[in-house]
Amino acid sequence: MSFTLTTPSGFWNPLFWVIFLALFGLISYLIYLRGNPSYKKESDQVKPYLSGNIEPTKEKVQVKAGDIYWGFIEALKGYYKVLEAIHTGDIRDYILWYLGVGAIITFILIGGV
Amino acid sequence: MGKLTSFKRSLWVFHASGGSCNACDIEIIAALTPRYDAERFGIKLVGSPRHADVLLVTGAIPKDFADKLRRIYEQMPDPKAVIVIGNCGTSGGVFYDSYNIAGPIDEIIPVDVYVPGCPPRPEAIVDAVVKAWLKLEKLEKQLEGKEE
Repeated sequence: MSFTLTTPSGFWNPLFWVIFLALFGLISYLIYLRGNPSYKKESDQVKPYLSGNIEPTKEKVQVKAGDIYWGFIEALKGYYKVLEAIHTGDIRDYILWYLGVGAIITFILIGGV
Repeated sequence: MGKLTSFKRSLWVFHASGGSCNACDIEIIAALTPRYDAERFGIKLVGSPRHADVLLVTGAIPKDFADKLRRIYEQMPDPKAVIVIGNCGTSGGVFYDSYNIAGPIDEIIPVDVYVPGCPPRPEAIVDAVVKAWLKLEKLEKQLEGKEE
């Protein structure tokens, strides 16, 4: 049984492919062996050089989606500061706000009658 | 094994300036420029301590820079050598009793070669690199002995 697939532009043989893969793997391993084996993995030797500064965490250097709105949020800082302070995450607080604001609106609309 | 044969071909140097007045730094550059041309022996300045065999330090080290200098030293692969260029790094120089100096460099990281002078001449710097080279060759042999 022949494994060779012949096409008008060449041929494909999985056995050749495996042989070449092994060959390239061996060459890569030989290049890897030429490296300096004495570096300390758990030290600063594996970290990038940042002029001696501490490497920041990945979260700190990552550009977040919210950073796109930086200018907008910065311009409305006063407004967002108040909003963030009242944004407790507690649903009972939100219900209280809802009832409170609802009462004020009701008072404005029909309170004077 | 022959994995550390690079010293036979070249010696790469990283220069860390710890608040130097620039005089020592200029002399380091002078050692590399055509009159002395240390690069013809493969001695060249590199941009990262991770590529360097030798650390050249200049200046009296301010307290803010001490931890950064330690980190730079840590980032260098072994075997490594440290050369202090100039009086400031060697003893503190005229800043020896300044309130914000972390002390002579050998109180921060281990130093192998001192080059006194304000500033030292390029010949002295080249001579120091040769001395560091000898030390590195000795360390290389020790490391190879451990591997075998």
